Amino acid sequence: MTPFELLEPTSLHEAIAALDPDDATVRPIAGGTALMLMMKAGVFRPTRLVSLRNLGDRFSAIAAGPDGHLNIGALTPLSVVERSPEVARVAPVIPRAMRRLSNIRVRNVATVGGNLAHGDPHMDLPPVLIALGASVSVAGAKGERDVAVEDLFAGYFETVLAKNELIAALRIPPQGKSRAGYLKVTTGSAEDWPALGVAVAIEAEGTAIKSARVVVSAATEKAARLKTAEQALAGATLDDKTLARAGDAAADEAECISDVRGSAAYKRELIRVYVGRAMRQALNTGATH
Amino acid sequence: MKFTGEISIPAPRDAVYSKVRDARFFASCVEGVQDLNEIDSDHYTAVLETKVAYLKFKFNVAVEVVRADPPREIEAKIEGTPLGIVGRLTASSLTRLMDDNGGTKVSYEIDAALTGKLGSLGQPVLRSKAKEMERLFAERMRAAFATSEIST
Amino acid sequence: MATTTLQGGQVGAQVGRSLPRLEAREKVTGRAEYTHTMRLPGMLYAKIFRSTVAHGRIKSIDTSAAKKVPGVFRVVTSEDVRKVIPEPYYGPAFHDQPILAIGKVHYVGEPVAAVLATDPHVAEEAAQLIVAEYEELPAIFDEVEAADNQTLVHEELKPAGTFADLKHLKGRKGTNIALDFKLRRGDVDKAFAEAAQVFEHTFRTQKVLHLALEPYASIADWKESGVTIYSGAQGPSFVRTEIARLLGWPENRVRIKVPYLGGGFGGKLYIKLEALVTALSMIARRPVKVALTMEEQFYTITKHPSTFRIKTGLDKNGRITARKCEVWWNGGAYADIGPRVTQKSGFTASGPYDIDNVWVDSYALYTNLPPAGALRGFGIPQLVWAYESHTDMMARALGQDPIEFRRKNLLREGRPHATGQVLQSCKHEQALDRVVERLNWSKPLDRGTGPVKRGRGVAVAIKAVISPTTSVANIMISGDGSTTLYCGTVDMGQGSDTAMAQMVGEVLNIPAETVKVVPRDTDVTPYDMGTLGSRSLFHMGHAVRLAAEDARAKIKAMMREVGEPEGSNIPLADLFKKKYGMQAGNIVGTGSYKPDYIPPAPETGLTTNVTPFWMSAASGAEVEVDTETGHVKITRLITVVDCGKPVNPKIVETQISGGSLMQLGFTMFEKMHIDAGQVTNASLADYKIPGILDVPVMENEAVAAEQANGPFGAKGVGETATFCVSPAISNAIADACSVRLMELPLNAEAVFRALRAQANKPLADE
Repeated sequence: MTPFELLEPTSLHEAIAALDPDDATVRPIAGGTALMLMMKAGVFRPTRLVSLRNLGDRFSAIAAGPDGHLNIGALTPLSVVERSPEVARVAPVIPRAMRRLSNIRVRNVATVGGNLAHGDPHMDLPPVLIALGASVSVAGAKGERDVAVEDLFAGYFETVLAKNELIAALRIPPQGKSRAGYLKVTTGSAEDWPALGVAVAIEAEGTAIKSARVVVSAATEKAARLKTAEQALAGATLDDKTLARAGDAAADEAECISDVRGSAAYKRELIRVYVGRAMRQALNTGATH
Repeated sequence: MKFTGEISIPAPRDAVYSKVRDARFFASCVEGVQDLNEIDSDHYTAVLETKVAYLKFKFNVAVEVVRADPPREIEAKIEGTPLGIVGRLTASSLTRLMDDNGGTKVSYEIDAALTGKLGSLGQPVLRSKAKEMERLFAERMRAAFATSEIST
Repeated sequence: MATTTLQGGQVGAQVGRSLPRLEAREKVTGRAEYTHTMRLPGMLYAKIFRSTVAHGRIKSIDTSAAKKVPGVFRVVTSEDVRKVIPEPYYGPAFHDQPILAIGKVHYVGEPVAAVLATDPHVAEEAAQLIVAEYEELPAIFDEVEAADNQTLVHEELKPAGTFADLKHLKGRKGTNIALDFKLRRGDVDKAFAEAAQVFEHTFRTQKVLHLALEPYASIADWKESGVTIYSGAQGPSFVRTEIARLLGWPENRVRIKVPYLGGGFGGKLYIKLEALVTALSMIARRPVKVALTMEEQFYTITKHPSTFRIKTGLDKNGRITARKCEVWWNGGAYADIGPRVTQKSGFTASGPYDIDNVWVDSYALYTNLPPAGALRGFGIPQLVWAYESHTDMMARALGQDPIEFRRKNLLREGRPHATGQVLQSCKHEQALDRVVERLNWSKPLDRGTGPVKRGRGVAVAIKAVISPTTSVANIMISGDGSTTLYCGTVDMGQGSDTAMAQMVGEVLNIPAETVKVVPRDTDVTPYDMGTLGSRSLFHMGHAVRLAAEDARAKIKAMMREVGEPEGSNIPLADLFKKKYGMQAGNIVGTGSYKPDYIPPAPETGLTTNVTPFWMSAASGAEVEVDTETGHVKITRLITVVDCGKPVNPKIVETQISGGSLMQLGFTMFEKMHIDAGQVTNASLADYKIPGILDVPVMENEAVAAEQANGPFGAKGVGETATFCVSPAISNAIADACSVRLMELPLNAEAVFRALRAQANKPLADE
């Protein structure tokens, strides 16, 4: 690794000013777990890293609102989110999903904001957050804007963030009667990146599905909602036939990529099966894997 | 890594062939090509700068047209050395042109290999980038023929 | 079993104690020394520039940009190496591997140049600026294709003469076959012609690697008077011999020092970095260290991929009458110890079965891939994968119970093995019995009614320890009676120091904890062939036992000399005082062991004494197959071994679980992906080894046994648990859902594709 400049600003304003909208070799660093891998591989050589560690406690705070929404500071370590009683109350799918997210050492250091800003399609949190309808508050030189997590990802390692913008906070809206589920599908070691991630959020009365969100990740270039699957579920009865139809729609819509964890053809078959299993997990009606 | 694709061009095959065979035109359709240098009609060098998110790669590229069979086929070999990192990019390509109702169907097959640091760690990243470049290439090709005058 | 205590130690019955490893405290408190953390004054770091071409002639190497990086001491190519070592080729079987590529490169990742600097980051940065131009040559990657010799990896083969059993290799040209081992027993053609049934199948295994947690690291400190090399080497005596040969020096000017190893598994054998650091230190006139990254391990040494075509003839009663084995071993660009794998594993290719007519052809192939060498099991797991899958396939085809089919054909003690040696002290049948018992085989298994199907499978295997090999040990008793053991067996986490100390304690009647085992240092620790192939407990165990007996005899002699009565129990310290007048002097015991051996006849591979002991194991697996996705869950993994009488039962247990876990990774998901000769998943991020969530419920056992010719009835167990895991699991999968996989790994997609093929709805390729 070649030497680089390390800045440690103490305010959000200072941090944004230290970033450069045109220079890709200037990057913010939070926990650094993903960035370090890129640097060790030699594919990323920074000239300057802007550490976000000292921006203040409010960026690692978790607060629940009276209407049931959740605000999570972008610099909150993943393990703090995992163990938070507020998160468990509002969105129990998150601590469930995090039990298999990477490993405990990474979770202790990596942050929520860093996780989202990295744009790696294999990550577990993005599809879950999309299913929950979450959004991020993005801070830039010209002020703050809100971006739905669903609209955050542009491609492989690419987000819609400008190079001098930072995610300041994650907002999870009140979930009401919606129930969410997430299945991480590995195809080799259980400790690997997923070959496929399926996140769902369903509103149902008994077996009558009112609406559903279906999100896949890891098998595709970015986490994305599968609208045809959602349409197949909306207003339908929860039974094997409906789930099969949704699975088929999802498998047809998703643009899968072949890699060491599986061929595109196989990943499509996994989607076909796991959309239904994720639904059942969310509604607790049988699937345990 | 294998890539295949097909582009429909609304122009007659002879015209499309001579454009594709023209190094300058071809290079203009590939995003990130700079400093194109023609050594002779079959050998070219260039610098290819490409970006995946915040990761930048610069390659010194050498292209050799191995076989030209107007107006039907072009076979080429590409070799690239990344700057500042040990590695090698090699690719062989076969481009076929077919008459298609007054227009031309251009189909291509590229077989690319990446060795060195990029090859051992960068495969999925570059595969995704290659897809993006394919898309842009097709767009630019089509656009060039839609707006330019057809010349031979 | 004797109870153990940590303090003070237990006198009597040292062998058989589950004594905690003597170095455990040092290791867990971070005080143990490894080459990776060593530093010498004035030391330079070297980083390696590697080939990006699988096969090519080197046209030029441009080091100008690298040299200009501030802090670079020197940039070295083979041209510089040849000025200090004129013939810089090394290897245990062939002297084919150059210290830095000369004239040609033979695989992607081959070292071509090295940059020296005091700061390793500077060296790394400069190495990235070196540019080499190659004239690309056709490359060959598949072992069966390589045997056709259409594309040649090397123009000329260069045999070495270092090991006795490889002496017959003669220089060859125009071929990729480094060794072809033959075994001919009886008349297979006739037997096949007369057979009631003939089955033939082809199995394949993939390229995987050791991935010890401590990557390769070596330091050389060269001076005109001698060179000292610090290295994580499993065979320091061999390193000494080979470096001395390269330098044209007597052995006593070369010193190899080995601290603890962070894992070895066969990867740290023979020469890995030792020759390179020696050459660099000679050139720089300063100590030089090379420490590889995790990624570079993938370019250093790996396991042999294999293709095994096996053909078996049966009589009408289901007895095997003939077996033909053709095995192609993919050795990569340099032979390393591949020829021995080909030969020493080759002769057990027909398995633990009683077969009158056997034909084996076992080929070591050169290809343009990273080299393959010794990896825990040494070729046996690949063979067992094939023959035990094959066994189950035949049993099922005949409608016979797989256990009964095996029992009908198993080779029993007192009967000759395929080589001609009569089988003794080999409890594979008992191991199989124990697995069968634990699996409750006689009771039907509930195979499930939904998409999840359950199944069970077994496998049984034997391995012969490499022979002939030599081990020497010295014991020194000091003036106060304290005891020190000098032996060349390298403790790489298998607990050898502890086991050897226990054997010394057993003979001298002292607590094992009081025995000091000196770290390996070829100036001090005597010759040992190498810590490999599960040989050390037996061979070095004998040497240690003999050395202790020698010391004991000398104590008795000293007692007689000073006039002590017969049966006196005078403390040793007092005995020394009596002899020397003060706390002074030593008693030195020495022991040396080399078993008998009769080399196999070259044309038939037959001999009545090919090995001093056999290792054997059986494994059983219960699995659940999710037929909708191909995921396999291993609900039980049982491994039963024969290791004679365990010297340290606790260590034996960890060897069994460690060995079977390692093989589990190779079975279920590990694979080096290679594109145009480039390893494309050369990191722990993309090449996964088993983690805690992959560990199944394991049952590990050693059968009650006694190795008649072993030290204290013991024999080795380092590899034994690896033999049967792969086919046991595959047989269980076949039992669960009737799909038969012919290739490793058995990952979810492979199982899924097999299920779809079986349902006549094959999945598209991409």
